Amino acid sequence: MRKIAKNGMILVLLVAALLPLSANAQKETTDTIEPVEIQFWTRQTQSERQEKIQVILDVFQILNPDIKVTMLPVEDNEFSAQLAAAGQANRPSLIETSPSFAMSYSNENIVDSASNAQVIKSIGQDVFYPGSLNNVKMNDGTYFGIPFHFSAQGFWYRADWFKEAGLEPPNTWDNLLKAAEYFNDPKNKQYGILIGTKPENYTQQVFTHLATSNGAHLFDADGNLNISSPEFKETVEFYKELSKFNPPGPQNWRARDYYIQGKMAMFYYSTYIMDDLSLAEVASASLTGENFADLSGGAEFDENLVKNTAFSPLITNTEPSAYGEIMTLSILKSEDARKAEAARRLAEFFLSDENYIPYLHVAPGGMLAMKTSVLESDAFLADPNNVYTNYGKEKILEIASGLGNMQDFLNKDGKVYPESATILAKNILAEMLYNITIEDKDIDDEIAAAEKEMARAINN
Amino acid sequence: MKLGLSKRKEEKAAWGLIAPAVIVVGILIAYPTILNFYLSFFDVRLDGSRTFVGMDNYTNLLSNPRYYASIWTTFIFLLGSVTGSTLLGLGTALLMNKDFPFRALVRTLIILPYFAPVISMVFGWQFIFDPVNGIFNFVFAEKLHLIPADTNLIGDPKSVMWVLIAFTTWKYFPITYLLILSRLQLIDKSLYEAATIDGAGKRMCFLHITLPEIFFVLGTTILLRIIWNLNRFEDIYLLSPQIKTLSVFIYEQAFAGVIDQGLAAAAAFIQLFLAGIGIVYYIRKVLKW
Repeated sequence: MRKIAKNGMILVLLVAALLPLSANAQKETTDTIEPVEIQFWTRQTQSERQEKIQVILDVFQILNPDIKVTMLPVEDNEFSAQLAAAGQANRPSLIETSPSFAMSYSNENIVDSASNAQVIKSIGQDVFYPGSLNNVKMNDGTYFGIPFHFSAQGFWYRADWFKEAGLEPPNTWDNLLKAAEYFNDPKNKQYGILIGTKPENYTQQVFTHLATSNGAHLFDADGNLNISSPEFKETVEFYKELSKFNPPGPQNWRARDYYIQGKMAMFYYSTYIMDDLSLAEVASASLTGENFADLSGGAEFDENLVKNTAFSPLITNTEPSAYGEIMTLSILKSEDARKAEAARRLAEFFLSDENYIPYLHVAPGGMLAMKTSVLESDAFLADPNNVYTNYGKEKILEIASGLGNMQDFLNKDGKVYPESATILAKNILAEMLYNITIEDKDIDDEIAAAEKEMARAINN
Repeated sequence: MKLGLSKRKEEKAAWGLIAPAVIVVGILIAYPTILNFYLSFFDVRLDGSRTFVGMDNYTNLLSNPRYYASIWTTFIFLLGSVTGSTLLGLGTALLMNKDFPFRALVRTLIILPYFAPVISMVFGWQFIFDPVNGIFNFVFAEKLHLIPADTNLIGDPKSVMWVLIAFTTWKYFPITYLLILSRLQLIDKSLYEAATIDGAGKRMCFLHITLPEIFFVLGTTILLRIIWNLNRFEDIYLLSPQIKTLSVFIYEQAFAGVIDQGLAAAAAFIQLFLAGIGIVYYIRKVLKW
């Protein structure tokens, strides 16, 4: 609570500092022009984050009295449904979403790619992390989004346990399997690893990382579905093997609580976990999921967890692969030119250094900067919660370095595969992996069934 | 002649009286249903454009084997949950119809699951059955050694349907209980006295007095429970989305990721059609209305 107040204070001071600069502009515009109203939809649904973003929006509206912005937090799974319900009249002008969603909206012809390009041009193409613009481009070069922030994903592990056991970090398939097996001791409620086995997006994220580290992709170079390839099947088999060392039953990201409780050796997660590992008050939600006092042994916050935890963002089997999620800002089409202009101004405002850093500090760890100069700056690394300070600059830059090797099913060798967005959005891969790992169904049958389902989804 | 006129006037007045209701029902039910049917023949995109695709949405759905699997799953779920909540509701109502100390308090406590928010109940159940920290495994695996230590009842595909049926039964039996209890309290006690004098036992009294008296209430609650559980989504999706009932399947096909509004409209229409046939059959043959 104190931290919210502190953040709020910083932003209020920012408003106060900027107010005189805007006074003249305000005087000119307020009397004559009716403000244009736009909606900004964000995936930051937690109330604490919304409060911080709202302060940034308040500053924007004070500086731009001709624009009125309404923020609407929308859950991942609800984004498309809400967009459909909003129709053209209530469509948001600016959204913060993942590339797969933005790409699919571009396929639905509601993305204003010209405005996105205009913002990128005005910010400067070379200020973004090298190669990151490729993640927001369609094959014809149009931009379905603007790089906003990213989180790297990989295996977080107990470096102290690994060292004691004489095991290598979990950065190759062999190392992963060896360590997962070594630490798995279900009788004593100790588990080797956490990978996704529920039919949810988290499962697809883990699988994507492992598949790309084995050269597997959903499509071949000619754009044909390619999940019956040996590389793909090999990854599925490996995934099933690894899942044997998971906590029992189908699991998703929530089981990371077992790691925080000291009951797990490694887990797959994004850098959003950084504050849970380093701050007792954030971790508390993971430590109180206990129903019985007798069971809570060892479930107090481990202050050494940050120090004893290491991150392995680069996984290799046949090739090194990093994975993560680049969140984009995307301007949606509107018949009102004023709305498009207002959305462009808001996007540029978010990405200007003085507002960009407060926005990224809304979720330290989970929102790494896409602008190279900001990522390396001391101001960015001095977040109010001291999360980055706890990890140290070197470690943060090491984590961020994965961005250069990021691979996923949406892109390969500079080519975009928009159909992958539909397949991932429909959770077809996750369903397949659930059937194989939990329901113990035949791998070949399930791959064949998933291939049919994918063909159905992309031809529909 | 005079009578005929007044009858026509009466009819006019009747139409006048029900006209507002007809208009409201027309706007709220008929219009969306017709629009839904119309949209089911189109590919509807987010930019507002519509492309006529004929029966494609229907063939797409009906050619998917998982659609039929979801109908079967729904049938099992309905059978278990409707039977469970009806029997538990009936049994509880019969018990609560008798006098005992603190009856009013107990009657109130029984309806609590029905009023509690679904989300908190679902998370409560998930914590109870958590394989590592849950109280269920603590008692039955660690203390009593009746089940293996790594049992995950909600996660195991073999047991998850049972957990879902148990959850739905527990959460929704209070409404059945309330409706039956209110009808039980209206039964004339002298009927039981007369039957007892004639030598009828408790079983005979139940079969020949209680059951006929509550038949229509019981029938109606079963009908309502079938309709409600057929369309039930949030409890199932939150507790165990791996159970693909029709509502979950349709959500994933039509609403997960990019919205396929045409497909959703087709799926909704088929579900409405099937449910309509079932409900008409039930009303005619079982309730004999």
